[in-house]
Amino acid sequence: MLVKVRSVANVGLVTMPVEVEVDVAEAGFPGFTIVGLAGKAVEEARERVKTAINNSGMDFPSKKITVNLAPADLPKDGGAYDLPMAVGILAASGQLNFQLPFFNFKNTIFYGELSLDGSLRATKGVLLVGLFAQQTQNSKIKTQIFVPIESANEAAVVEGITVYPVRNLIELTDHLNEVKQIKKLGKVEVKELVEEGGVEYDLAEVAGQEQAKRALSIAAAGGHNLLMWGPPGTGKTMLARAMPGILPSLNSAEALEVTRVYSVAGLLEPGESLVRRRPFRSPHHGVSAAGMIGGGSNPLPGEVSLAHLGVLFLDEMPEFPRSVLEGLRQPMEDGQVQIVRAAAHVSYPASFTLVAAVNPCPCGYLGHPRRECRCSDKQIRKYRARMSGPILDRIDLHVQVPAVETDKLSSSPSLPAGKAGLGSSSKEVRKKVIDSRKIQDLRFRDESIFTNSQMKNKQVRKYCPLTGESERILRLAVEKWDLSARAYFKLIKVARTIADLAGEKDILPVHMAEALQYRQVG
Amino acid sequence: MKQGVVDATKIPNFSAVKPAVKKLFWRGKDGWDESWFDHAAAVVGSRRITEYGRRVVDKIVPQLVNGGATVISGMMYGVDQAAHRACMASGGRTVAVLGWGIDYKGITAEDLSIMNEIIEKGGLVVSEWEDQAGTLWTFPQRDRIMAALADEVYVVEAAVKSGSMITVEWAIKLGKRVWAVPGPVTSRVSDGTNRLIAEKKAQMWLPEQQVSQRTTNDAKSDDKNADIYRLLENETLTVDELARKLMRSVNEMGAQLSVMTLSGEIKEKDGKYFIGG
Repeated sequence: MLVKVRSVANVGLVTMPVEVEVDVAEAGFPGFTIVGLAGKAVEEARERVKTAINNSGMDFPSKKITVNLAPADLPKDGGAYDLPMAVGILAASGQLNFQLPFFNFKNTIFYGELSLDGSLRATKGVLLVGLFAQQTQNSKIKTQIFVPIESANEAAVVEGITVYPVRNLIELTDHLNEVKQIKKLGKVEVKELVEEGGVEYDLAEVAGQEQAKRALSIAAAGGHNLLMWGPPGTGKTMLARAMPGILPSLNSAEALEVTRVYSVAGLLEPGESLVRRRPFRSPHHGVSAAGMIGGGSNPLPGEVSLAHLGVLFLDEMPEFPRSVLEGLRQPMEDGQVQIVRAAAHVSYPASFTLVAAVNPCPCGYLGHPRRECRCSDKQIRKYRARMSGPILDRIDLHVQVPAVETDKLSSSPSLPAGKAGLGSSSKEVRKKVIDSRKIQDLRFRDESIFTNSQMKNKQVRKYCPLTGESERILRLAVEKWDLSARAYFKLIKVARTIADLAGEKDILPVHMAEALQYRQVG
Repeated sequence: MKQGVVDATKIPNFSAVKPAVKKLFWRGKDGWDESWFDHAAAVVGSRRITEYGRRVVDKIVPQLVNGGATVISGMMYGVDQAAHRACMASGGRTVAVLGWGIDYKGITAEDLSIMNEIIEKGGLVVSEWEDQAGTLWTFPQRDRIMAALADEVYVVEAAVKSGSMITVEWAIKLGKRVWAVPGPVTSRVSDGTNRLIAEKKAQMWLPEQQVSQRTTNDAKSDDKNADIYRLLENETLTVDELARKLMRSVNEMGAQLSVMTLSGEIKEKDGKYFIGG
């Protein structure tokens, strides 16, 4: 008998329907064949499915079994087809005693990996299955999805579908045979989950470094990329880690977007349904280009996509291989990455804020008040040249994070309270950031951009008119430091954000002058 | 560009150096001019120049040029190149004594570019070899030529064991005047210079006092600037340090420092501010 069961394949973030056709033939030698561009993991499903069925107290028919995964030209990989195959075999061999025409296979999706004992294992991509079910269902009948219990929570946030969390094959057959129902998964509101996220690393924990903190809040407010220069141990990493905490919390749509990427990558904790915090990714400089950008024959998201809507922190940026750094150019420009492999062409979102830390020289102690630098001029030049111009061009803010002498810190008078950017906690800074983001939302309501950093030159001219004195300061700086046209526009964008943080309509001279502090040097 | 050879044995002082220098190969736009060495000062120091060293060079060299001196150095990166650059920038005559042969092709792009610059701006490039590569022994040999050509030697930042010390030893032997610039006692690259002063082998070089005058002038014009000026008179400071000392916010402080830097009142390097010399 022939049975068709529906499942899906995730190619990148795109979900496609897969029909699992199972034929259990009376004639022919007993055997189990899988066709339809099945990858190694799918081939091995034969052993898992067979053993799981046997260990669940049911019969694996010793007949000629043929499984076809349609469409035939779409490569399939992973363990998620175990469940639909097992269901198909049980149905085709008459072990599910429901009347097939009554059970609506069209509106049912099975998805999950089997364990040898018949239980289901956490499987990646369940959120995408849920979203697919939601998009493709017709208005009359709700689509139901059967997914592993450990991953089911991912789909709980999807509106309008029925999710059955499946523990093992026995529970599933009991449900399908209408012996004992599996309890539907309760719906979870995204809004409830993304309530004001706590702050993991507070800005107030970093000693001193007021200018760096100020730069961080400007970066957060305007979506600018940030480069920190400074010797080791001055708090660069801690500052970077504090960045997600001063960005506005994820809204529902954003949380879902981030979760989709994490679901595909299989990085959601079992039982977790949503990524609630802005991601902070800090890949080590040994990362490969595929690890950074994404890759694999069935391409998985890389660090740039895992940092989507969050922060990508590159510590000791010049130590990263050049090819990896160059790969950042496309995502930084477009907010997404295209990964092309023989098997698939996928696109992942990759709209992140780059925070990079750079030592002043290879040994790290150039300009340190007490320690001596051991590098030669040539080494230093070589080290700095590793960061290519095109990447530096996309970084609006450059800030020095000097070594702090602890005795100076503790003996200095406490800073005047209420002054912007001084000793503020992340919560206070975040409030300012949110306010300035609101100003930007209003400014760009007719544009397809959201933050000052995304402005093109035309938009800079339109939205950032300079008053006489601000213009004079900028002209002076361009002349004195030989700034390029690109640097010119970057400075205006930064000044715009500084003015937004101050709640000013115009870019005042003091904003322009402060922006000059964060220009690119050397 | 012209090039040529001078018989070194005819140059005064050279008879006293050992091993004897026979010939000097030179290159330059206008050719060899004996009168350049009537008043010539060698400015030497470490390859590993600090910010302090740079500022010292920027103080000493223009003074020498104003006094009509030719500035001699070794064209190595660090203090040497800073001295050549400062000399050219203030329109002076500079002479680079190479640690390798004048025709040696294996030099780096940076060395080549400064060499061309020196020649183009009317300076001289000199060596006792034709195509000798630069190695361990050639640099100390070069040092004796610098000492012989100059009539005084300025040491800016030098470690105890360094080529600059060899130049100093020769200069003392030849009876030339040696000036050493004092530096922080914590810095290894000032060890040599400080020791020269302590052992009375060199005279301590101090700049003339001009800075405080400027401060009082500025104090009249702007109180806030004067505060910053007063602090920077004594040390180099970062934005954070200035903000903390003056109890101001970093954003205000940053804006003001930008304006002061633009007007040339103060200078900035790697996030630290100082009063330009």
